[in-house]
Amino acid sequence: MRTQSKLYFYLTISTVLLVIIAVLALNTGVYDFGGNSPFKVLWQYIKGEPGISLSDKYVIWDVRAARIIMAILIGSMLSVSGTSLQGLFKNPLATGDLIGLTSGATLLAAIAIVLGGHFKQYLPEAVQFSLVGISAFIGSFLSMMLVYRISTSGGKTNVVMMLLTGVAITAIGFSITGFLIYISKDEQLRDLTFWNLGSLAAATWTKNIILAIVLIISYIILLPKGKALNAMMLGEKDAQHLGINVERLKKQIIITVALMVGSCVAFSGTIGFVGLIVPYILRLLFKSNYTFILPLSALYGSILLLTADTFSRSIVEPSELPIGILTALMGGPIFIAILVKFKKSL
Amino acid sequence: MIKAHQISYKHKDFYILDGVDVSLEYGEFLAIVGPNGAGKSSLLSVLANEIKNKQKVLFKDKPISEWNVQELSKHKAKFSQHNSNDIPLDVKDVVMMGRYPYFDAQPGKEDTEAADGMMNETDIFHLKEREYNTLSGGEKQRVHLSRVMAQLQNDIAHKLVFLDEPLNNLDIKHQYKALEIIKNFTQKANSAIVVLHDLNLAAQFADKILLMKSGKVSVYGTPQEVFTAENISHAYNFPCTICGHPITNNPMIIFG
Repeated sequence: MRTQSKLYFYLTISTVLLVIIAVLALNTGVYDFGGNSPFKVLWQYIKGEPGISLSDKYVIWDVRAARIIMAILIGSMLSVSGTSLQGLFKNPLATGDLIGLTSGATLLAAIAIVLGGHFKQYLPEAVQFSLVGISAFIGSFLSMMLVYRISTSGGKTNVVMMLLTGVAITAIGFSITGFLIYISKDEQLRDLTFWNLGSLAAATWTKNIILAIVLIISYIILLPKGKALNAMMLGEKDAQHLGINVERLKKQIIITVALMVGSCVAFSGTIGFVGLIVPYILRLLFKSNYTFILPLSALYGSILLLTADTFSRSIVEPSELPIGILTALMGGPIFIAILVKFKKSL
Repeated sequence: MIKAHQISYKHKDFYILDGVDVSLEYGEFLAIVGPNGAGKSSLLSVLANEIKNKQKVLFKDKPISEWNVQELSKHKAKFSQHNSNDIPLDVKDVVMMGRYPYFDAQPGKEDTEAADGMMNETDIFHLKEREYNTLSGGEKQRVHLSRVMAQLQNDIAHKLVFLDEPLNNLDIKHQYKALEIIKNFTQKANSAIVVLHDLNLAAQFADKILLMKSGKVSVYGTPQEVFTAENISHAYNFPCTICGHPITNNPMIIFG
């Protein structure tokens, strides 16, 4: 099979798989639609038929459908951000959460939640509403700059330094967030806990639209970068000889990744390891060929997070498990597997 | 083709290159030779626009730093001395990187042809499905040679290839094959600047020789002009004798 048709074949199969899982997820849950199937209710709602009860409509559209779409958007972006960072830094351990971007975003989001009330009135109205989101983006961007500055010298990035900087940022974030919890009011406390554990329960369509816009902008920039990331494996100088503007590539990846991680954290808190698990599995199948694993990671990130989220809200019905527990359960062993495999080169 | 005037490059207070002039015509094969630490690789880096330098290197009458990176990649390519050991891809994917300047998402027919053709010439076609990381040092060198030469397969006239010690790790047969590929390339009005260690091979294949010592040009000229016992003993600080090659009558250097 030719490379091109092979890629489209896998993309098609994966999309079908994602749709099947989404349908199953829509069908999963404790709410009883009075004997009707959830699909029928959704179809009636979309067609605008009268006679659906308000609570049926709310559960199917504003709770389940919104949450499924959010899982798809967030999973995809977390996964693509991990794959892009790994390509840029030539290391399978570079992901937003391990190098501290997520912690940086969470930290500034927490500051905005607890202390935002004091300075909110001085800001323009548009910023007031999205204060937490903007703070999360700034947090992930600043962490990215810090990690990059500390770990890179003379054009070479030291991965151990990157991970250790991530540990340091996480420690700082943890202590300041802890302090904020101590001084926060009851309602803020609930918000903070949500952020720290990570959850898709707060999905709304407004958030989904914002996430979708971020996703489209980022993917227009990132998804055609498969060739460039492959060429980076030769080293920066040789990539340049192949006509790749390395400095521009770095800037584009760093900014879009910070944007994606920041928006994900702003709306769903810290959901770890997605950016580590998905590229790891894809690498087993396609080696490190980024022209394959970059587009495919966009789909498999969605598949992974949607599956994990559906499990997290169905295994302990009617309550739900924090989703981070499930992703960490998969991510931890994979982290160790990568460490063992790259023992010599780290 | 390429002109550089009075190139100097220093690291702290130490001059790695000190007032080097280089000028190359269309269709010329220039070999840079000299002892370790003479500045051969640094000179190649400056000429190939890897080191951002204050001095102007003119490539096709335009400062090389002002060329568009993408456009430049179709006019010149470089084979680096230190190639990455860890590229978790198949051989054919690594060679295909040489065609990246020519396609957007997926390689076209001429890209596959160029890559396959070069793999045949360097004798690695049978390895195309193997993972690059499992190859031997010499085989990896040939993969990169294919990649670099495939990058310059296009209709543009007067292309330039830089090669930094392309013969490292190659056996005798593949050393000759590699030099023949480069020679063929220059015979089509393209040019090559090659750092070589084997003076006899340089004498046999190159049109011009640049002998370097301590960051300076020691002698520049045709192999007959440069390869005299006096020049070489002076540059390498080691005695040698020169005699004519029994078949080609090029200078042949015997050390000791």
